[in-house]
Amino acid sequence: MGVRQVTENCAGVVFVHKEVTVLYKVLVVDDESAVRDLLRDFLKKEDCLSITCRSGEEALAILKKETFDAVLLDIKLSGMSGLEVLKEIRKNYANLPVVMITGFGFDEELIYKSKQLGCSGFIGKNIPMTQIIVTFKQFVKEAKGKGSS
Amino acid sequence: MGVRFPSPAYATMSTEMKDMFPSLIENAAVLMLYLDHNGKVALCNKKTESMVGLKHADIIGKNWLEVLFRDTNNTMKREMFKAVLDDALTYKRAKDFECHLLSNHGNARLVSWNITPILDKNNQIQGSLLFGHDITEIQERENSVKNIDDTLKNIISSINEYALYVINLDGLITYFGMGCETMFGYSKPEIIFKHVSILHNINQAVSELGLILERVRLFGKYELELKLFTKAGVVIPVRLTVNQFLDASSKLTGYIFIAKDITETKKLEYQVFQAEKLAALGQLSTGMAHEINNPLFVISGRLEMLKQEGLSQEFKETINLIDSQVNRIRKLVDRILKFARKSTMTPEAININEIIELVLPLVHYNKLPSVKVEIEKSFEKNMPKISGDPDQLQEVFLNMIINAYQAMPEGGIIKITTSNFQNLYAQIQITDTGVGIPAANFKNIFMPFFSTKGQGTGLGLSICHNIIKNHNGSIELESRINQGTTFTVKLPFI
Repeated sequence: MGVRQVTENCAGVVFVHKEVTVLYKVLVVDDESAVRDLLRDFLKKEDCLSITCRSGEEALAILKKETFDAVLLDIKLSGMSGLEVLKEIRKNYANLPVVMITGFGFDEELIYKSKQLGCSGFIGKNIPMTQIIVTFKQFVKEAKGKGSS
Repeated sequence: MGVRFPSPAYATMSTEMKDMFPSLIENAAVLMLYLDHNGKVALCNKKTESMVGLKHADIIGKNWLEVLFRDTNNTMKREMFKAVLDDALTYKRAKDFECHLLSNHGNARLVSWNITPILDKNNQIQGSLLFGHDITEIQERENSVKNIDDTLKNIISSINEYALYVINLDGLITYFGMGCETMFGYSKPEIIFKHVSILHNINQAVSELGLILERVRLFGKYELELKLFTKAGVVIPVRLTVNQFLDASSKLTGYIFIAKDITETKKLEYQVFQAEKLAALGQLSTGMAHEINNPLFVISGRLEMLKQEGLSQEFKETINLIDSQVNRIRKLVDRILKFARKSTMTPEAININEIIELVLPLVHYNKLPSVKVEIEKSFEKNMPKISGDPDQLQEVFLNMIINAYQAMPEGGIIKITTSNFQNLYAQIQITDTGVGIPAANFKNIFMPFFSTKGQGTGLGLSICHNIIKNHNGSIELESRINQGTTFTVKLPFI
């Protein structure tokens, strides 16, 4: 937790948030804008600042420029799939918490694959939103604990 | 009776004949030996010489058995022949005997013997006359015919899926052959000379049969698939081949029908079709469910946000109502995903009895009609293990037992039986004494979204079907209205 100055790059416009209390700075990757906005709003309520983007390619580019506490990554994306993005992220950021989120619900096969690729958690979109955020924070906390120890 | 010698017939013969007689015998194509009362050969003809491969001088005066059984070590036949001859002499009666002789070419020849004791004037044994007929070829011919007969009988009796019947030009059944009684359930006497429409659909028989016979007249032969009727009124799908039945002068005298029962083939085709349809549906629904899930996620998320705003009671109630309806959709989508999912199985070696035992306590956690239902278990004690995912199989049997409960709104008995099916499959049967399933619903029962219950998604049995298919097993049902339903699951042993 800390007070930081952060920037949000959205469609070429740079927003500067001054002096906000931020628990985690989160990169949200989802190809649907309504979903992105929803996640951003809920994360904000939980003191998480989110930067959103619509594709894996974008996410990887942003990660090169900025540091994040966690990534919330949708599995079904246009272009690179969430699993491919996860694989790429792990090449350069071994300890960055990455939580997968999917509309396919609690799919064992996807969970297995994500775990193999080193995700920090897995959430289905079929549970209530508040629960999703609580679970997400839980995963990030655990992952950070592991990473620092 | 023995033959007294000289016989009265010989006495009345003309001199000319009497002169000819020895030469006839000498050149006859049968073996002839005359033995004296000591069993020494006193006379023999040419055929005998050539058969045993000895010269005349080497035969005369020898013991007959040494002559006939010179090279064979078949002592049993030899002793038997001796006993028969002794018998003939003791009782003064003609006897027959059959045995193989080794010919001079080394071939075994089958000879049929006639032994006649020869008596003197005082009714005392003077000697014995042996006539031998080489019946090797006759026997071979008979055997070959008999072999064909036996083989054909075997083939025909083993063919149960074929039925062969013949009708005459008036359409009357004139032959009701192999497989017919098994296939149709009629006995020969009750169907011979009945009109063939008894086997074909009565309503369509005239036109359908007429059409078939017309084609046969045109092309000589016609093949088609159709349905025939058994005595019990059961419809069986058959592959029918109809041929012209021509007499020796090539005149059409009737038609030959060969029907092959294709029930099993049809069943298999249907199962494959069903499985393909379900697989396609699975793919479609996964895609659809995902597309629904995203907007649903946004709607329910936004609703949650609204709930936290300080809205008026009226608004709150409306939002709760929307939320509960959204939840309903979400649960449905979850079920669809579950149905369609090729979830990764974690197969283990499991005893199916244990799986069912684990399921039984779970049944009561489900909302069930509060009626008296008894569960009777009958488990195969030495059940070999199967390879399967315990969780998935538990889901299957839980689902089926709950179904059985729901089929008995007035209570009843659920019988759960496990058995070893032909050492290949673990067979699990769940039988209820409930309302039964109408035959019209049979083919839809495993289809997703098919439900006759007021509530429920209609996905339960389709999920069961998928899981069992993934386990390389099969699931079938049998049902009678108001008597109950039996689900039979077969899962292959490891």
